[in-house]
Amino acid sequence: MPPNAIRKLAPALARHAAALALAFVFLVPLAWIVAASLRQPGLPPPRTIQWLPNPPSWANYLAIFNFPSVPLARYALNSLVVASAAVVLTAVTASWTGLAMALAPARWQARLVMFSIALLLVPAGALWLPRFVLFTWLHLIDSYGALLAPALMGSSPLFVLLFYWTYRRLPAELFESAQLDGAGLLTLWWRLALPLSTATLVAVGILTFLLYWSDFVNPLLFLKTPDLYTLPIGISQLKAMDRNNWPLLLAAAVFMTAPTVALFLVVQRFFLGENKLHL
Amino acid sequence: MSASSPRTPTQPAVTAQRWQRQQQAALIGLLLPYVLGALVLVVIPGVLALGLSFSYFDGLSAPSWWGLRNYRMFFIDPLERIAVANSLYFTLLAVPLRVLGALGLALLLRRPGRGVGLYRAAVYLPTVIPDVAYALIWLWVFNPLFGPLNLLLGVLGLPQPAWLADAATAKLVFVFMSLFQIGEGFVVLLAGLQTIPADYADAATVDGAGPVSFFRYITLPLLAPWLILLTVRDLIWSFQYTFTPSLLMTQGDPYHATLFLPLLSFEETFANLRFGMGAAILVVMFACSFALVLAFYAVVRRWTRADAA
Repeated sequence: MPPNAIRKLAPALARHAAALALAFVFLVPLAWIVAASLRQPGLPPPRTIQWLPNPPSWANYLAIFNFPSVPLARYALNSLVVASAAVVLTAVTASWTGLAMALAPARWQARLVMFSIALLLVPAGALWLPRFVLFTWLHLIDSYGALLAPALMGSSPLFVLLFYWTYRRLPAELFESAQLDGAGLLTLWWRLALPLSTATLVAVGILTFLLYWSDFVNPLLFLKTPDLYTLPIGISQLKAMDRNNWPLLLAAAVFMTAPTVALFLVVQRFFLGENKLHL
Repeated sequence: MSASSPRTPTQPAVTAQRWQRQQQAALIGLLLPYVLGALVLVVIPGVLALGLSFSYFDGLSAPSWWGLRNYRMFFIDPLERIAVANSLYFTLLAVPLRVLGALGLALLLRRPGRGVGLYRAAVYLPTVIPDVAYALIWLWVFNPLFGPLNLLLGVLGLPQPAWLADAATAKLVFVFMSLFQIGEGFVVLLAGLQTIPADYADAATVDGAGPVSFFRYITLPLLAPWLILLTVRDLIWSFQYTFTPSLLMTQGDPYHATLFLPLLSFEETFANLRFGMGAAILVVMFACSFALVLAFYAVVRRWTRADAA
């Protein structure tokens, strides 16, 4: 190869090598816990790094469902119910708000965007305690109402803004034709806005699912009846019961993480893909 | 549309306006869940937390006025001061590293090309891991006896710290694990980099600017608004980040080295049933993040002035 070509190629190669090394660093903790979760139960902890136990064993993935006092399958089902309900509620309220913002007079659009950004900057951690007091007064403690309340306001101001930015980009003629038909706002939302925002709908739906599936703090504070517990609470109970059984605990962690990784791989092209970042 | 009546360019806007007036009630109706929800779930709780911080309240009987007594505890009880110091330590170390890490990754992976999508996905992946699972992962990785990290350090002949069991290193574990969840900042800065026109780079190359001066005089100033936004968000976010890891991994041990403000507030409120004290700790936490944001803003102002001069 002529030296000129090498000089051109070298930076690209260096960049790829650096990217590859970084990707490895970010993925290696995940690889380690998957490997650890496949270790045969009852063996002493390994004294060397194991990239894959020999032979790999699925026993831990069955064992996590066999604790009578921690019905993990039930908790996973509860999480699924809560997260699915949150997805539907959030899709409705966030797209309503986004559409109303996009159709509002310009002055109000600016105010609502500022309001949403201000809401985004409020630390959630500062609201746990007063929300607990408020929900006690409203008799929402120990019900899924307490977990789903944020879904009634679109779950996150970010989701509302995503819908607003989507609807603002739609050509005005579309809305005008609906207006000439004399359609009401709800008809416009259902017939026109929702079908034209499927990409945003999918992205917000998946992000909402991840938010509620992973939620540990709200169930911890607001739920009391074990029958209502969600998966994160169940896994923290497993950890309290069997704190040194690492293959078992890590199998539970992988079980809980697998759906989030799968959904992320579906949604990632919406916001990580090349030149698709038109937020 | 235009077949029935020829129209002037202003006409659509007029019909749109008339239609909007008719639909104003419906428009407000669609906004109502959001605005009401923000009022009930954010504004009222915020005011409530401030009010409760001046009260004695056990969660059952009516709150009673307590004046500044909760805040006075910050000067009497060393635990409160330890928690403030720990939270500030975490924030001041984690936030700059997280922002710089996100910036470095965005610069490295900004250019489209073969495999870049995969690298970006790999970098973002730890961000989507649920908090509870994430705490378990790092508890295992940093296990001093058979965790893979210390086994690796042993193979390399390096010292093997006790990590979470040692007060000197415990907080560093929390900083370290927060550095793997920088996907959101990474995406924000990728978006920011894409707003920089490509012909700026061509013009700079013609002018003979090297990559360093291009970054210093073109990329950095154009990226500054995004970096400022990200830093402010991170300053606020970092105070609550420590809650789930500290609750699940250390419960504040060893010797209160990982006792952070949200954990202390949680313990005061739900273990000791001192809601007023718990609220006061949250107000102090909020004040700390607000003060850091103001300080950061002052620094940025000085830099931009120096640049303009």
